[in-house]
Amino acid sequence: MNRATLTLLALLLLCALSLVAAQQRARKLFILMERAQLEEYQLNQDGLRLEYEQRNLSKSARVRDVARNQLHMIPIAPERTLYLKESK
Amino acid sequence: MRPVGFSTTPNLVLRLPMWRSRLMLFLLFFVFMLLLIRAFWIQGPGNAFYEAKAVRGTQRELELPASRGKILDRNGQVIATSLEAKSIIAYNDTVPDDLSAEKISKLASLLQISESELRRKLKEERKQVFLKRQVDPDVAQQIKKLEIPGIGLNNEYRRFYPEGEAMAHVVGFTNVEDRGQEGMELSREKDLAGHPGQRRVVVDRLGRVVEDVAIEQFPQNGKDLQLSIDSKIQYLAYNAVKSAVEQHHAKAGGAVVLDTQTGEILALANYPSYNPNDRRGLSGEQLRNRVLTDMFEPGSTIKPFTVSAALEKGAITPSTTMVIGSSYLVGKKPITDTHPMGTLTIAQVIQKSSNIGAAKIAMNYLSPEEMWNMYTAVGFGQAPKIGFPGAVAGTLHPYKNWVPSDQARVAFGYGLSGSLFQVARAYTIFARDGELVPLTIDRSPDFKPGVRVISAKTAQEMRQMLETVTQPGGTAVKAQADGYRVGGKTGTAHKLVGKAYGNRYLAYFAGIAPISAPRISVAVMIDEPTGGSYYGGDVAAPVFSAIVSETLRALNVLPDSTVKQAALEDSSPAETHTASAQAQHMALKR
Repeated sequence: MNRATLTLLALLLLCALSLVAAQQRARKLFILMERAQLEEYQLNQDGLRLEYEQRNLSKSARVRDVARNQLHMIPIAPERTLYLKESK
Repeated sequence: MRPVGFSTTPNLVLRLPMWRSRLMLFLLFFVFMLLLIRAFWIQGPGNAFYEAKAVRGTQRELELPASRGKILDRNGQVIATSLEAKSIIAYNDTVPDDLSAEKISKLASLLQISESELRRKLKEERKQVFLKRQVDPDVAQQIKKLEIPGIGLNNEYRRFYPEGEAMAHVVGFTNVEDRGQEGMELSREKDLAGHPGQRRVVVDRLGRVVEDVAIEQFPQNGKDLQLSIDSKIQYLAYNAVKSAVEQHHAKAGGAVVLDTQTGEILALANYPSYNPNDRRGLSGEQLRNRVLTDMFEPGSTIKPFTVSAALEKGAITPSTTMVIGSSYLVGKKPITDTHPMGTLTIAQVIQKSSNIGAAKIAMNYLSPEEMWNMYTAVGFGQAPKIGFPGAVAGTLHPYKNWVPSDQARVAFGYGLSGSLFQVARAYTIFARDGELVPLTIDRSPDFKPGVRVISAKTAQEMRQMLETVTQPGGTAVKAQADGYRVGGKTGTAHKLVGKAYGNRYLAYFAGIAPISAPRISVAVMIDEPTGGSYYGGDVAAPVFSAIVSETLRALNVLPDSTVKQAALEDSSPAETHTASAQAQHMALKR
């Protein structure tokens, strides 16, 4: 075996090993991506849940109830309202 | 004798025939050729089978979830949303038979079912049993922590409706499979439904996903749907109807609020209603979307259209007078009013809601065809095209079949039928100077051109007449709204019980506001009021008043009636201003 053959063999081995290493790294990254995607999904779900909770707290029935019974507010009446026109 | 060596003894020399060795050679060659062909076959054309087998071992198909679209009101407030929920599944061949009583009791309490029911489900023959569907994710997490073998969790979605009863008939609801069953959830199923995708992945020997092969189908989330409904107006309309039904011990009630400029439906309220978040023990009565699906005889609310037809023809003017009398005989049965009236102008026929007056206008000035054309032009006899399930067309018999008594009775709202929604829509012609506006339940805030039915002059005259109904001397003083001039027409119709009219009534009020520049058309119906008065002016008009004043304020419409300004810096509290003059004054000051 001459020197060139040996060099090529060494290169081949190196390539094979780096391929295995690259594949391993790709899989690890893929797992990380999967986790991140799952987290994104969960965060989206949490966002929707918070939006729903916020909506539940601000729904007309609750606002009216809190305004009347807790804050003792009374409905608007035109005679106590000052109407302003938007100046253009 | 020649000596013969042992190794060369001629007796031991094998003399095999040549053909045997050739045969062997050929057989060996043949077998190797077969192996070679097989190897080529496996590598080449016959490869698919083995490849599929290998793929089965290492690859999996996974579903990519897609969520159902949200439903939003006109201001972008959520009125229906899908949140993640879990279904709890028992794989009965894996669940151990000797599961401890403590775990069973904990699981049963988390699932909110009895221990005996849980045990029964775990003993079912089927391999896979749903213990409970649409469980809250927190509860599902606690169930997972129990670490019971054979109890699994599956992802699914559950629909939530924050506005509850008030919005139930508009949005409808979905079933456990997340498919629409009622209301907009049903009629817009195609747009709202998501389509799950599919991806192919490589898994390792422990079943963990290690590589993506391909996304075979991308998931498509359902589209969000924005309605024209305003949840605030819807809530106040629902509340007003509910209190009226309770106060008058009525069977049911409904209200419709339309934006006459954009044709948007702002509210569709029904009572009794149901909570779409918890639909146990629902009855048909609760599910009925009365304002769209119930047909009724519109009674006196139809009179303005009869009068409009005659005004439009030029046969009468608002000041034309006619003798009313105590009864008017057309056909066999005399037509009467609640009390005898002497001579009335056309405007007073509307203000006092005279049946005889309406019948006389029809019989003296209109042909059946002209009346039929008017009612058809404002939408009676045709189902409204708003994409709502079950919207009825009502009945309007062909005028050729009318006998004189039919013509006289149709003039004041008997012998034809329609829904409350159709009545509210028909009244938009008075608000829009004679144009019938096309309606929509989708958010579309632009001004919509309508279809002309009557002239602007007739519409303006009708508006003035409708306003007199709510003024002293009219049938619906209780329809007056704080700060706004309103106009409308009462209706009190006998209900058909079997084939005859019994002592059950429907009370209506339909009208527009503010009269100076109408923005909304509102129709209210209270079904079978029993606590005292049953007249539209007493029962339905106050609901109209409550809805109109709050709706116009919510829409930032400037009051057009005279109001007393109580707290002004440079005028006395008792001083009377018109609000619009006040607004101009404030604008000048700025």
